[in-house]
Amino acid sequence: MCDIVCLAMADDQSNRGPEWGMSTGWAIVGTLISGMLVWGGIGWLIDWWFNVSFGLPIGLVLGAAGAIFLVVKRYANLSSE
Amino acid sequence: MEKAVRVSLAAEFPPGLKDFDYAPLADFHVFGVEFAITKLTLLTWIAIAGISIFFLLAVRKPQLVPGRMQWMGESAYGFIRDGMARQVIGEAGVRFAPYLTTLFLFIVANNIYGVIPLAQISPTAKISLPVALALISFVLFNWIGIRQHGAATYFRNILFPPGVPIWLYPLLTPIEFFSTLVVRPVTLAVRLFANMFAGHLLLLVFILGGATLLASDNFLFKGFSFFSFLLAIVLSLFEFAVQLVQAYVFTILTASYLQGALAQQH
Repeated sequence: MCDIVCLAMADDQSNRGPEWGMSTGWAIVGTLISGMLVWGGIGWLIDWWFNVSFGLPIGLVLGAAGAIFLVVKRYANLSSE
Repeated sequence: MEKAVRVSLAAEFPPGLKDFDYAPLADFHVFGVEFAITKLTLLTWIAIAGISIFFLLAVRKPQLVPGRMQWMGESAYGFIRDGMARQVIGEAGVRFAPYLTTLFLFIVANNIYGVIPLAQISPTAKISLPVALALISFVLFNWIGIRQHGAATYFRNILFPPGVPIWLYPLLTPIEFFSTLVVRPVTLAVRLFANMFAGHLLLLVFILGGATLLASDNFLFKGFSFFSFLLAIVLSLFEFAVQLVQAYVFTILTASYLQGALAQQH
């Protein structure tokens, strides 16, 4: 539990207030949604063009994984500082 | 006569998209593009004039010990400068305080029209105004980023986050492109628009619904209209809070995007 909360709330600079936490939250949500939209969309197009059905699920999972990787990469190091 | 009024009120229920379309008070063509001046346009102009007059009065005769107008103007500006520009962007953010303050007050003014009698519609409840505001913020934060780091470095940092294995870039670069250059401006505009749109519709449902119930011939329905109107009043207060919060969120996200463009520490 603390892993998530502490990451989101960790202040890497003392002059940053709760506003910073809020915009970080929006940024994380935006990244996660983007990941699934972009790669889910590409997978859906592959389905549509080649008349197959595995593109969308693979794309969604791939996009979600990429987005989670990005979020961890960008925000996880804050707690260690 | 009274019967006619009742019928005309009841006829407007249920509310829908038509309630967001105002008849043009004047329209004209510029290079073949049609422009229409509606109630919403007028409200926006009044907001601009009101904010301008407010600040002109506030700084007309600046004194060391501020008068009431000066105090109000300085509080509004100080709130955004210290609470937002400094908090989110840091010392470098003070130069954005005028833009952020203007943005915040403009959105607040346009939002709270939704609960002001006679106005009773937020110009931001139509997508065009939020889109225009989001575009200004979008262009601004990209321009600031490009000026700070140079176009090549700025876009390389967006598209190729450092500290990532090269073979992952084909997966991550489209996500970064989409989240920074598409999702940011779109959500900025849609968040404000959707909140104001839904708020207006919600108030219409309970106010027009109450009127419809009151106009019905059924004795019980007439009684129930009381609760509909009561809820309309409670929701008006709720909407007022939402309108302030949404203006704040829009401004703080703009500030946070500016901070990201300036610092760019991925």
